[in-house]
Amino acid sequence: MHRIRLLALLTSGFAFATAPIDAQQRDTPPRTAAALAVATYNAERTMRVTGVLEVTADQRVDGDVAVLNGPVRVAGRIAGTLAAINADVQLSPGAVLGGLVVVGGTISGQEQATIATEVMRQPELLRYHLAEQRLVPEAEPTYDEAWWKRRARRKPVPDDRSWSDFTFTSAHTYNRVEGLPILLGPRIRQNTEWGRFTLDAFGVVRTAGPVRWDRGTLGHDVTGELQLGRKAGVGVGGRTFDIVDAVEDWQYSAEEVGLAAFVLRRDNRDYYRRHGGLGFVRMHAGADADLTFSFGDERWASARDRAPISVFNSDEPWRLNPAMDEGTMHLATTRLRVDTRRRGSALWGGWYLDAQVERGSGTLARDPGLLAVIPRPERVEYTRGFIDARRYTRLAPGTALNLRFVTGGWMSGDRLPTQRRLSVGGPGTLPGYDFRRSWRVDPDPFTCGGSSLPGSPALCDRVMLFQAKYRTDFHVGWVRNDARDDWWRPGFNQHAAFVLFADAGRGWSVGAPDLATTYAKDDVPPLSTFRADVGAGFDFGSLGIYVAKATTTASEPVNVIVRFRHRF
Amino acid sequence: MSHSPLRALIVAAVLILPAAHAASAQGGRPALTITAPAPGERLRAGPIVVASQMLGGRKLGEALESGFPARLHFTVELWSVGGWTNALERVVEWDVVVRRLAVENVYEVTQVVGDRPFSLGRFTQLADAAAAVARPTRAPIVAVPGMVRQYYQAGLSVETLSISDLDEVERWLRGELRPAVRGERNPGTVLGRGLKTLASRLLGGERREYVARTGVFDADGGR
Repeated sequence: MHRIRLLALLTSGFAFATAPIDAQQRDTPPRTAAALAVATYNAERTMRVTGVLEVTADQRVDGDVAVLNGPVRVAGRIAGTLAAINADVQLSPGAVLGGLVVVGGTISGQEQATIATEVMRQPELLRYHLAEQRLVPEAEPTYDEAWWKRRARRKPVPDDRSWSDFTFTSAHTYNRVEGLPILLGPRIRQNTEWGRFTLDAFGVVRTAGPVRWDRGTLGHDVTGELQLGRKAGVGVGGRTFDIVDAVEDWQYSAEEVGLAAFVLRRDNRDYYRRHGGLGFVRMHAGADADLTFSFGDERWASARDRAPISVFNSDEPWRLNPAMDEGTMHLATTRLRVDTRRRGSALWGGWYLDAQVERGSGTLARDPGLLAVIPRPERVEYTRGFIDARRYTRLAPGTALNLRFVTGGWMSGDRLPTQRRLSVGGPGTLPGYDFRRSWRVDPDPFTCGGSSLPGSPALCDRVMLFQAKYRTDFHVGWVRNDARDDWWRPGFNQHAAFVLFADAGRGWSVGAPDLATTYAKDDVPPLSTFRADVGAGFDFGSLGIYVAKATTTASEPVNVIVRFRHRF
Repeated sequence: MSHSPLRALIVAAVLILPAAHAASAQGGRPALTITAPAPGERLRAGPIVVASQMLGGRKLGEALESGFPARLHFTVELWSVGGWTNALERVVEWDVVVRRLAVENVYEVTQVVGDRPFSLGRFTQLADAAAAVARPTRAPIVAVPGMVRQYYQAGLSVETLSISDLDEVERWLRGELRPAVRGERNPGTVLGRGLKTLASRLLGGERREYVARTGVFDADGGR
């Protein structure tokens, strides 16, 4: 703090004019007040202060004073002009000033002070930088709608740091096959002017019992990529793995599956083992879009469920992890991902598209289902496609309408492997219907007969799903009032959303038409055969509580669903 | 007839609750305001945003005192009014980070606009740091010419940052602008994160949010 000693600074013969106590204050055009403040700061004889300035009643300052950030408290005299930049000024009774310019700050006690000239004030703060003791004001950022500027705003600031570490973390899920998978190993991020090199080399330790020194407990997942071009460019990489993977990962997030499994002993995914490697080429345009071609060679096998713990229902058995087709496959995959929903961190609304086509060929021993036969390896070739397209539209502040269309499945070739079959039904797709419990509906348009097999595997060759969600924010200040400091009081963060939703979808097999669950390869089932539901709920951000009722099956009871993410 | 007492109770509640809420909104309570520019300046200047009394609470003060930075994330949106729906025209964002430097015994306030940190000062008193946070900031988002009915909406989220964010805050404030305080933290286990999220949501912790809106105005003048 700068304390100005009156006696030390007292100079003789300084003419000090006074003005009426009620010298008028007016908000002047920004450039006028700011320009004067900057000129005062940069003048040679100005006393410059950064931080607190206090002029007590017995003190006097001759000449101009410029203060950055403040605050400024004046009870004495300042013969020249006080320029307060991004600082509040507090004037005490008896304070005398030769002039006052305040930029980005408030003035209090002005009516008790004597100010010789008109007070100049700019309410908004001044952005500046200091160059060799001189204050250089910066131009206010402008809003330029040129498309390349919008592009730049949309793209996050690139991470220019190079680093490496040894990571010990979870795989962000919990399931009945692995328990809590733990990843440990080195990570490398090497950035250069021409691109980036990344390497993640993880060993996998599965904690589900029995823990043994074998492939049931241990695995690996190593991915390396050389990326040419920073904002846009092409990357070349490879991956080798021995992992447990989900059959359908599009219905739920891994975190939600993990929480439901650990807490409630409900695992809404099926799993299989993948062991092999692949190479890939990826073209990317910032964080918004990328197109990836990959070629892999891998061995598939069933993954037996083990005995991980759960918080509740620990005396109940886990849902059996269904048997899968086993063998070796060569896979060629093309994947396009486009996401235009955000610019910076602002949610504008936009499109999300995830589309992929996979061509598989190899030798598989098909799971015989309930037949008591030993499966024989057979040659398999297939092509499978999958599209998840969403439109996020903000209708007004706090109100949004989101639409989603998902379809995928068999395109050509032999029957799809069990690992590539599909299903609908359950909280992630048709919440009015229970997950993998479709005995109230016959024929079964959810798993295409899978619900009658151990573990209720997904057996549909194709699925189609429409989802719509309307949400509008409302305040819950009566539960939690953010005006007070009740950060830890029970309640929610004042803002919640009321959600209305509707879903319609079904799965079907491709083959000789039976007008129930099997349709010809060029046909799509009539919309009248689709299963639909409607629902409503409250979304508190990371926690949502919903009720859903099937509209196409009267006997289905109302379902209550808790989600830890937005529905989509 | 038997409903009369109940009806009276409801009427009383309806009358009292808004009054109580209005009363609670006065005084030294946190407040976010946004003011549209004067009619002649709407195509040249953006609105002014003020977030006052944001550091006044006991819990937040304790968190800052314990070394946890506070992050205030501002968003200003320009909307145009349509027939059935409104349309989002423009968005700007910036942050203010407040942290206590224990060695120097000061509170440091830094505004980050775009990629650049800008110091709003270091203060020995938390009230002075709160005043720095409350500096009126002109959002660089002007009205769209020729569009008749528009309005601004400001949003502010105030949150304390966890210990895992501290390193990133340091880098962020040095200008090494990574996603930093808005994510990309080293993830914990799914169970830890999930249960923490659940607990924090149920307890209402971690974040406070404020919203303010201007009236509808004409871009080229009037109203």
